[in-house]
Amino acid sequence: MSEETKVIDTQAEGSAKTSEWQPRILGILCNWCSYAGADLAGSARLHYPETIRIVRVPCSGRVDPMFVLKGFQKGFDAVMVLGCHPGDCHYAKGNYYARRRIALVKDLLKTLGISEDRFHFEWVSASEGNRFAELVTEMTEKVKKLGPFDGVTP
Amino acid sequence: MIDDCRPSTKKVLSMSDIQNKIREEAKKALESGDVSVVIGWGAGTVAFKTTPVFIDKPEDTDKLVWNPACVNNLAVYLPKMAKDSKAGIIAKPCDIRSIVGLIQERQIKRENLYIIGLGCSGVVDAFNLDSQDFHVQDVTGLDWTSDGLKVNTTNGDYTVSCSDCLRDMCGVCTNRNPAIYDVKLGEGTEPLETRACSIPEIPEERRKYWSEQFSKCVRCYACRQVCPNCYCEQCFADRIEPKWTAKKATAEEAWMFHATRAMHSAGRCISCGECERVCPVDIPIAELMREMANIVKERYDYEAGDPEQKSPVLGHYQDEDFDPAAHGG
Repeated sequence: MSEETKVIDTQAEGSAKTSEWQPRILGILCNWCSYAGADLAGSARLHYPETIRIVRVPCSGRVDPMFVLKGFQKGFDAVMVLGCHPGDCHYAKGNYYARRRIALVKDLLKTLGISEDRFHFEWVSASEGNRFAELVTEMTEKVKKLGPFDGVTP
Repeated sequence: MIDDCRPSTKKVLSMSDIQNKIREEAKKALESGDVSVVIGWGAGTVAFKTTPVFIDKPEDTDKLVWNPACVNNLAVYLPKMAKDSKAGIIAKPCDIRSIVGLIQERQIKRENLYIIGLGCSGVVDAFNLDSQDFHVQDVTGLDWTSDGLKVNTTNGDYTVSCSDCLRDMCGVCTNRNPAIYDVKLGEGTEPLETRACSIPEIPEERRKYWSEQFSKCVRCYACRQVCPNCYCEQCFADRIEPKWTAKKATAEEAWMFHATRAMHSAGRCISCGECERVCPVDIPIAELMREMANIVKERYDYEAGDPEQKSPVLGHYQDEDFDPAAHGG
């Protein structure tokens, strides 16, 4: 558990060194599908914005809601959680549990007044490198429009 | 309106009658040796307050009281006290919902409990009482009547309308009768009108609202200590590694603490409102919990503390569950 939080901490510190403001997006990716999908996007030389900082988890069922909250607390502008399509889970049903949990995190963020556009949950399989690149591009554009996240302090 | 709420037209036992019956039942249970302790409310240092008491001798059962000031959710003591031996507990309907939750989450066993369940007309908010014509220091007794709350004081009797003294959570409570019990005493009154939510709707205002509320937090953890759901042996807030939230009382860390607690309580909170009651800086925590509970109910048709539910809402899933993925599965 500690490994992931450390990664979230260190990832939050780095910032993109370009003149235009670039959002920082925390991506929490399942090892078996989405991470492999991201890998495919890389090996296929697909272009996508360098806004995403990836934390690899063994399964979307491993995604503790606190990872997402921690991401926002540490000042990420957006958080993406990507997992295997329902029915495709390496551990048979991890993503089904994740589905309920993530739905509730999404609601909690909404309840706490964090724009829905700052959190994205999606199913991305290992063969969907294209989709991964598209999603990151889409998300980056969306968050750019929203501007930097105001943080969790008043 | 909220005012015509107290004991319905049918003949009901007065709270002092019920109090006597509670004492009888507790005495019987202790005398039979069935339970080793009975958890209930006892008189506080002042009349409008009560304190949890743990009765282990039959002759002490006269210390038990039942009045509109019995606010504490006593289920919080059960994971420790009903662990290895059978404990008796006097419980309001909301406390019983907590008990049901604890049983579902396997923190306690039903056979280790002797539940004296009470019908409930709501409990009072001591702070609201203080704003009335009399001084709370002078109060000698409280009881619900058909007109509202009858307050006996050293300077005479007063009647306070329900809307002026009822606790917020009790105003919206729809479960006025115990869901499970061994003995049931008294009858709950009809639910009141639902109260409108006062939290801003616009996301940006909402973010500000909650971050301002949380920034008041002094990290005393009273909300956690009083919550029957917070039974973890080690709370995430106390962990050094990983450090989910630092111990300093900054707005940022407080946000993390409260957001996580809200997530941990989602689908489990039974809205007893204890967290809000004990908060020394008046953060409307229960409001946040209630919003989450409403979402869970709407989406999964799941209500915490309902004995019909087999497992916690996040402990199972269905194939046709709502899909939070933006583009679908």
